[in-house]
Amino acid sequence: MYLLRLALRSLLNRRFSALLTVLAIALSITLLLGVEKIRTEARASFAGTISGTDLIVGPRTGSVQLLLYSVFRIGHPSANMRWDSFQRIADHPRVAWALPISLGDSHRGYKVMGTSADYFLHYRHGRDRALAFAEGKAFADLYDAVLGADVAREQGYVLGSELVLAHGTGSVSFVEHADKPFRVSGILEKTGTPVDRTIHVSLQGLEALHVDWRQGMPARGAARISAEQARDMALTPSSITAALLGLDSRVATFAVQRDINRFPDEPLMAVLPGVALQELWSLLGVAEKALFIVSVFVVLTGLVGMLTAILSSLNERRREMAILRSVGARPRHIFSLLLLEAFGLALAGALLGVGLMYLTLWLAQPLILSHYGLFIPITAPGPWEWSLLGGILLAAVLMGSVPAWRAYRQSLIDGLSIRT
Amino acid sequence: MSLPVIQLENLVFAWPGQSPLLDIEHFTLAAGERVFLKGPSGSGKTTLLGLLGGVQLPASGRIQLLGQDLARLSGSRRDRFRADHSGYIFQMFNLLPYLSVLENISLPCRFSALRRRRAIQRHGSVEAAARHLLAHLGLDRQELLRRAVTELSIGQQQRVAAARALIGSPELVIADEPTSALDADAREAFLNLLFVECQAAGSSLLFVSHDGALERLFDRSLSLSELNRATPDGGLD
Repeated sequence: MYLLRLALRSLLNRRFSALLTVLAIALSITLLLGVEKIRTEARASFAGTISGTDLIVGPRTGSVQLLLYSVFRIGHPSANMRWDSFQRIADHPRVAWALPISLGDSHRGYKVMGTSADYFLHYRHGRDRALAFAEGKAFADLYDAVLGADVAREQGYVLGSELVLAHGTGSVSFVEHADKPFRVSGILEKTGTPVDRTIHVSLQGLEALHVDWRQGMPARGAARISAEQARDMALTPSSITAALLGLDSRVATFAVQRDINRFPDEPLMAVLPGVALQELWSLLGVAEKALFIVSVFVVLTGLVGMLTAILSSLNERRREMAILRSVGARPRHIFSLLLLEAFGLALAGALLGVGLMYLTLWLAQPLILSHYGLFIPITAPGPWEWSLLGGILLAAVLMGSVPAWRAYRQSLIDGLSIRT
Repeated sequence: MSLPVIQLENLVFAWPGQSPLLDIEHFTLAAGERVFLKGPSGSGKTTLLGLLGGVQLPASGRIQLLGQDLARLSGSRRDRFRADHSGYIFQMFNLLPYLSVLENISLPCRFSALRRRRAIQRHGSVEAAARHLLAHLGLDRQELLRRAVTELSIGQQQRVAAARALIGSPELVIADEPTSALDADAREAFLNLLFVECQAAGSSLLFVSHDGALERLFDRSLSLSELNRATPDGGLD
């Protein structure tokens, strides 16, 4: 106990270099824990983007690609699936519900998704959480739109606001559907998923936008069809981008998947969202592991800094050791003293690092949420964080035994004679 | 108190494979005695202090402290024996800069239960013992006690070091050039205080110095160069 006090007083006497060492360790631990926090939360939020959907159906492509554009709105579909194929799949006896998804338009960089009103009933995210309306209701009129929480907040849209959709998915588009503006009928609650950045319209509304288009270009002059005229036309789409299926029983998943993969009229594929997420995550896992390894090495660098600081102090502290020996300290006391010193530095670094991590998190939480839609909860360290911290302290003690051993040898050789 | 505090018989010390650094036929320090040992550089002084402290062991011969043969004790027992029975005063910078004056003086009582017990027996508590010694050494002004030890003058620091060597009444006080950093007047004053306190604590004093001017103040004076039959070539001192 007294040795601990001596170690602390001795450190305090060298407070400037001790403080720098503690700071280096603390910053490295902040980095490590921060990276770990973001990593696990990103993974959880990622995995929680879609739930309750048993199969994602689309044209034959990679399963990751299908997942990316149908759920994450990333990338572009390479092909479409026919509407009559969708209808046949929706009629499959084991399919409880089927949600069509049609992508391709945008508004100020937000993706526009055509779907059916059932989407708001059946789509699930997180742990089986349904979509909820913060204001208004699902689209009823042909030109109604339902906004994700971020779209409404960032663009200042309220119920009844009018917006003009643009053709294509770039953030700046030169072809706008200015003749057929949409009106906001509902705004969804925040979900922390890509839904927040999506504008939902009915498939028919999306079809109406393109009813007078020919070969990817809007009609001119007399061939143009006004918004009101379009209401009287048949607005059944000829194709959609993908579909989300819910089955009557999980057990049927593989049977239905097999049926879709063998679909006779069109090359289609069905993927299990969980499997596709896993596949996608294993791709990202490499970067994730690299990030983890880099931060572990930063912590090691911090500890090596501590080792250097203690080792370089040893020579000027030979007098201190000899005095301690002369008043009765045994070599093992000297060893313990230096080990305690290393442990104390690492412990102070760990405490400060954890504190800094939470402070940073607290400050950055709203920024991360608004910029990346990622909510990082402030929670007490879990078993993984504790074992990381424990591992760091253990590493510090192991490293600290190097100068401790040197001081031990030195004090045996120097004995009571003071050499400087 | 018939046992001599230090008894050396045919003591030889040499590093393995080298010629002896120290070879003393006979040396005794009686209980309560104050002996001046004149030891210039190269006379084997460091080696002798290492042997007396139990940090080194003789190649042959016998070294007894209070009748205990140091060679028969294990390394950690020798360390404990040193902590229990001897106090040291060095040339200068004797104190740990990060401890207060009182904490510096109490240090031996932290490592030796025996000296802690003795201090408490005589004065009630370790702190009372430290204050008592300080008062006798003329350092009892409150403001001095609160100061960092590095702000004390060298003379004051040496008196604090003397108090530390004397706390818990060890049987032996070894002073290694404690006065060489002091001026002539301060030297005698320091020595007189040291003598009085050694007597009060019942400690014998082995005073090692190259400065022969002080030897007249001691009960007995010896020259290490004459005592040491080996002729070390003055390497490490």
